[in-house]
Amino acid sequence: MRKRTKALIFIAVIGVASCSPRISSNFANPQPELSIDEKVAFLDVEHKLPNNTIKIGDLRFQDSGFSTNCSFNSLMNRARVISRKNGANIIKVIEKKKPDLWSSCYRLKIELHKFNGDVSSLSQYKLKLD
Amino acid sequence: MEIITKALLFSSIILLSNCATIISGSRQIVEISSEPNSAKVYINEIEVGETPVQKRLKRNQTYQLTLKLDGYKTYDTKLEKKFNAWYVGNVVFGGLIGLIVDPATGAMFKLKPEEIDKQIKNGTTYKTKHGNIYLNVSMEIDPNWQKIGQLEKLDSY
Repeated sequence: MRKRTKALIFIAVIGVASCSPRISSNFANPQPELSIDEKVAFLDVEHKLPNNTIKIGDLRFQDSGFSTNCSFNSLMNRARVISRKNGANIIKVIEKKKPDLWSSCYRLKIELHKFNGDVSSLSQYKLKLD
Repeated sequence: MEIITKALLFSSIILLSNCATIISGSRQIVEISSEPNSAKVYINEIEVGETPVQKRLKRNQTYQLTLKLDGYKTYDTKLEKKFNAWYVGNVVFGGLIGLIVDPATGAMFKLKPEEIDKQIKNGTTYKTKHGNIYLNVSMEIDPNWQKIGQLEKLDSY
């Protein structure tokens, strides 16, 4: 009985602690942080990256095995927070794996760039509320 | 008779084993109002309407909430996911299925306005009723705006 309670509590703790996707990042060239008023563009795989951008770093979202909060919009929203912190205003998806038999999560490889122009004029993905 | 008893027992085990999902659901109704009203509401920087506005949001996410109204300071806060006590029901009733289902559906969380030092942002009040959250924001006048006149209604109209 005691073992069973411990097992249930252990599963509950796992449930509480591990619902987020695994994020790995590499910032080779971080820039000053952007304010919330500065726009960030979401460029999906099919959208073209403009010329003359500065590459800030890379991001990778993977399934932690217990991830639940990992829709495309949710991941892009997280990417925007990280992007602003590191001074990037373009989030470019370079590889996208949709949910499948092996994972219920989107898995993304992303590049973060800084563009010295108006990012709202770029052809881009429009973020939606899930 | 024995089959009915077993069926009832089986159904009650299934029902009691997803406490939070059954009681709360995976989404939560969030109603946002402001004083004055007609402020533009943005959730995660996406415009969702003008106050008063109601949205059904996923419980397992944190949302950035912004209200904008001309002549008033921009209001920013977060709706954070907090632990939903109904999840404990799984431990109490021994529901192994619920311990897995509730985190998967997000029902083990509930949304609440962000607190800093256990205080919610100035000018914000909220109440929860039937699991829904009602948030009221008192917009703060922007001192950079200056009143230069007032429109008056004509008597003939």
